[in-house]
Amino acid sequence: MAEHKEIYLGYSSDKAVTPFLQKFLEALDEGKLMKSKCTKCGAEYLPPRQQCQKDMNECELTEFTEREAKLYSFVIVDFAPASLSSKQPYIVAIGEFPSGLRLTAHITNPMGPPTVGMPLKLAFEHHEKMVTYKWLV
Amino acid sequence: MARKVAVVAGGHSKFGKRYDATMRELCAEAYKPIYDDGITQDKIDATVLSYAASQFTGQGAGSALIADYLGLQDKPHLRVESACTTGTASLRAAWGMVASGLYDVMLVLGVEQMNRVSSATATEYMSQAGDMRWEYPYGISFPAFYALMASRYMHEYNLPHEVLSMISVKSHHYGAQNPKSHLPKEVTLEEAHNSVPICRPLNLYDCSLITDGAAGVVIAAEDRVKEFTDRPMWIKGIGAGASAMMIQDRNSLTSIPGAKRAAKAAYTMAGLKPDDINMAEVHDCFSIAEMIAYEDLGFAEPGKGRELVENKEIYHDGRIPVNCDGGLKSKGHPLGATGLSMAYEILTQMRGEAENQSRQIKDVKYGLAHNVGQSGQFVNVFIFERGW
Repeated sequence: MAEHKEIYLGYSSDKAVTPFLQKFLEALDEGKLMKSKCTKCGAEYLPPRQQCQKDMNECELTEFTEREAKLYSFVIVDFAPASLSSKQPYIVAIGEFPSGLRLTAHITNPMGPPTVGMPLKLAFEHHEKMVTYKWLV
Repeated sequence: MARKVAVVAGGHSKFGKRYDATMRELCAEAYKPIYDDGITQDKIDATVLSYAASQFTGQGAGSALIADYLGLQDKPHLRVESACTTGTASLRAAWGMVASGLYDVMLVLGVEQMNRVSSATATEYMSQAGDMRWEYPYGISFPAFYALMASRYMHEYNLPHEVLSMISVKSHHYGAQNPKSHLPKEVTLEEAHNSVPICRPLNLYDCSLITDGAAGVVIAAEDRVKEFTDRPMWIKGIGAGASAMMIQDRNSLTSIPGAKRAAKAAYTMAGLKPDDINMAEVHDCFSIAEMIAYEDLGFAEPGKGRELVENKEIYHDGRIPVNCDGGLKSKGHPLGATGLSMAYEILTQMRGEAENQSRQIKDVKYGLAHNVGQSGQFVNVFIFERGW
């Protein structure tokens, strides 16, 4: 982390970036999604945690390579929080990967109302100073 | 051995868009009937005075402000915050202080002033109760969390939206008969089903209201109860539960695990089972939340809650009357007041004092309050027993 790249996650920013999160964001900026793995017990987290929920030991970032998921649940947000009013309506989807790990993100290319169980594909997006992961259908 | 504790009095402001009042005046409005009942400031040992979200008012140290406004500035006070369970969390904290012998008599009062900001801003503040790093940046509003549950529930149990709308019709039917309601009007099934979308599959009539209001109760230790009333409502069972912070981390979205744990603990402490309960106040922040509550509380099997709705068993003369005050949907949902409004309603029903007999539930011996915070991260279940 020689240079601090000012990038934030998602469509509105929580600017409380830690060195651990900065590494996650920089990888995301390069098209890599990182999960984390406990260095002691091996528990895996997506999105990543810096400390293990089970034993509080440090976790390390490792690349998450699954790209295909199924839609576990969704919402079409017609009336958004003020910070995202300009993007409404938008679709938030929980996708479930074959490994069982899940991720929550927007579906950005809807062909119509989503249906539970439909296939989703993980993709990445750069948005001004933001970087994020997203679902494509 | 913990002492028995009873609710001996209650007070409740008018709920609504209260541009005629702010937090402090709403609290006074809720305390006034308690004062008029003879529970003057000198009879109160200590207070819990709470609201959920400081963002709405910008007021810090709010319990000090409220205590001072109510003439209780020389009594110990504190604020409890746990999102929409702030009211029952306050009651739980106070119960512990009275049951332990620390105090004999406590005022527990909850309030929220939500309408001095726009609906979009209020929605923003409430979305900040999601994970600020991984959920908030994706604009997952409070209704959006419940819409995620609704989508999954409707998929797993093949539930049509009309059944959710039937819950809203019931809520408004009773809210229309409650003079304290924010939105006291009847709605038709067609209106409820076809209203404007908010967070599909949830529409306007699936969603509770952004409400200003206050509610409170006084609790007393068993050996002091007779000084205040011959109609006490005993706190018979208390259960609390919690669920994963991020909604994607829940194994199931058709149930709230913390609610099931809270219900089990409350039933065990009370020595009762779901069939013993004569009325319930449940946290219908959204229509789907009420449906899930029926099942989490054991009034219906998983996926069978719709039968209670379709058979009208949740009406005031049904098998298990639910929210016959209009609930969060029609009476309103001032976050910090909601749980105490539930306790107030159960006391009112037990005493046979509903303002309109058309919503009076007969012969309530046991009443249950189910209060959920955020999307289930906090849950409190109280079981109250008629004491006369």
